[in-house]
Amino acid sequence: MKTKWFKNIAFTAIALTVAFSSVPTASAASKLSGKIVVNGSSALLPLTLQAANEFKKLNPKVRIAASAAGSVTGPQAVRKGIADIGACDWDASTDVPGFKKFDGQVANKVAVIPFAAVTNSNVKVGDLTTKQLQDIFSGKVKNWKEVGGADADIVVVNRAFGSGTRVNFQMKALNGTDFMTKGDNYKEVKSSGDMKTAIETTPNAIGYIDLVYVTSKMSALKINGVAATEQNVINGSYKVWSYGYYMTKGEPTGAVKAFIEYVQSKTFQNGSLKKLKFIPISAMKK
Amino acid sequence: MPSTSQAYNGAELGKSLKSGSRRALDRKTRLSIYNKSFKMICIACACFVCLILFSILFLMGRTGVLTFETVSPATFFFSTEWVPENDQYGALVFIFGTLALTFLTMLISVPLSVIIAVFLSEMTPGWLKTALRPVMDLLVGIPSVVYGFLGMTVLIPLLRSVTGTSMGDGLLAAAIVLTIMVLPTISRITDDAIVAVPKKYRDASYALGSTRFQTIVKVVIPAARSGIMYAVILGMARAIGETMAVVMVIGNTPQLADELFKPTAVLTSNIVMQIANVPFDSAWNYALYMMGFLLLIISLVMIVLVRLFQRKGVKV
Repeated sequence: MKTKWFKNIAFTAIALTVAFSSVPTASAASKLSGKIVVNGSSALLPLTLQAANEFKKLNPKVRIAASAAGSVTGPQAVRKGIADIGACDWDASTDVPGFKKFDGQVANKVAVIPFAAVTNSNVKVGDLTTKQLQDIFSGKVKNWKEVGGADADIVVVNRAFGSGTRVNFQMKALNGTDFMTKGDNYKEVKSSGDMKTAIETTPNAIGYIDLVYVTSKMSALKINGVAATEQNVINGSYKVWSYGYYMTKGEPTGAVKAFIEYVQSKTFQNGSLKKLKFIPISAMKK
Repeated sequence: MPSTSQAYNGAELGKSLKSGSRRALDRKTRLSIYNKSFKMICIACACFVCLILFSILFLMGRTGVLTFETVSPATFFFSTEWVPENDQYGALVFIFGTLALTFLTMLISVPLSVIIAVFLSEMTPGWLKTALRPVMDLLVGIPSVVYGFLGMTVLIPLLRSVTGTSMGDGLLAAAIVLTIMVLPTISRITDDAIVAVPKKYRDASYALGSTRFQTIVKVVIPAARSGIMYAVILGMARAIGETMAVVMVIGNTPQLADELFKPTAVLTSNIVMQIANVPFDSAWNYALYMMGFLLLIISLVMIVLVRLFQRKGVKV
């Protein structure tokens, strides 16, 4: 009795699997096939997953595996041959603070990621100059009253070394000056999510985060008088943003090339990518 | 066992089965093949587990030792300068942090847990016991990230407003979170140890005219000492290895924790913060492996200690 029942279930399951898997294969028009492995930036992961879903519908024979462990793992995985595409928040084919360039890799722009300097909502300072930001994040300025705020210690929240957000903030907002590494009111957090919680719950805290993560419980600072908005990024007045890159070993070919081209295509850039709150690369002037 | 197998291995039984089932092998041979192969599978599994354990130890140790090609052991163990960007790998901050955090956690949690255990085993009426014990067991199963998140969003703002510090992150916050995590473990095992103390000890103590307090403090707890030590070591092992909860409340700043409210870092938190972002084949990577190897060694020592106390505990 029991075995018969089990056999029936098993047979139905197999039949269903065969039926469902054969349908898209039969209707496939594309000849592309192969496996694409994407590793790297966690900021770009939602974009990669969405693109992979859509791309798989068009090219059913291509399998895409995407994972994320941090920006620098992207180009590293590409160098080691573990991944075909290394998602990275900076152009890893050039030198950046803390990281040497990855020789022989090509950076393919796929999105625009804006960043914002943020404070806890109790901070009354709404506008800082580049110099003031440099002084705060290097530990020279320790009290909000030195930059026009209330008399309270500044709590600096930083991302850990190797974070793409940190590299970009350092290059674009601090013009490459170093962060402090220790202090009574200094801490480091592991991810954008931890940064969000830390800024929201710590009075007098300052940090930085992807613009899309900014919530109503924190305030995004104007930098040199320019507000952090998508519009200001597009018109070129707000400088703290970066391209998101897909790093490949040499020029991409075959399925990898098709996938990157799909991500760069107008359909994806103006559709799903915008919905995920990234800015299309075509919106930028240069 | 031999006597039962003898009875079933009788020639008559074997024959009857053989003629009935028309198999090539008789029951006796089949049984012995089954038994032998099952034994082999068990041995193979045991060997496999040992192999995995030793490979992990070997791999961590071998990769960790590569650190000393670029960093001298003296610098690694006795320097407090951890600036991997500038090739400075002093792990003393983290080793000290781990030891200090564990010590502080034990300082808070052991007296609390023992009192809870005494309350559970000696003073509570039966119906409350049956209600409380499963609750304590449930507490053990809560994922550590939940404790960490609560620490980050509830405990730290509370500490900040009570003490007036501007951050609240640091050893004390981490120790409180860890205390809540290890309390159920320590108190439940202590509870079992106290329950295992024979009733005659208590009777004798009461017969001599002791109060309940004297009986508990001077007789029951000393008699359950080895079980309590076992509980404490298990709790310590958990506190040392805990990562997710600690990383959210300790501040993750590589500086020596000379105050309770100074953001600092421990071995586990530093590894989890940095391992995803280090370049392969770098001294930085090796240094993190070395720190992991240190943790492994510490927990192995703990396990050995637990074993020793367990053997002693049989007496109780």
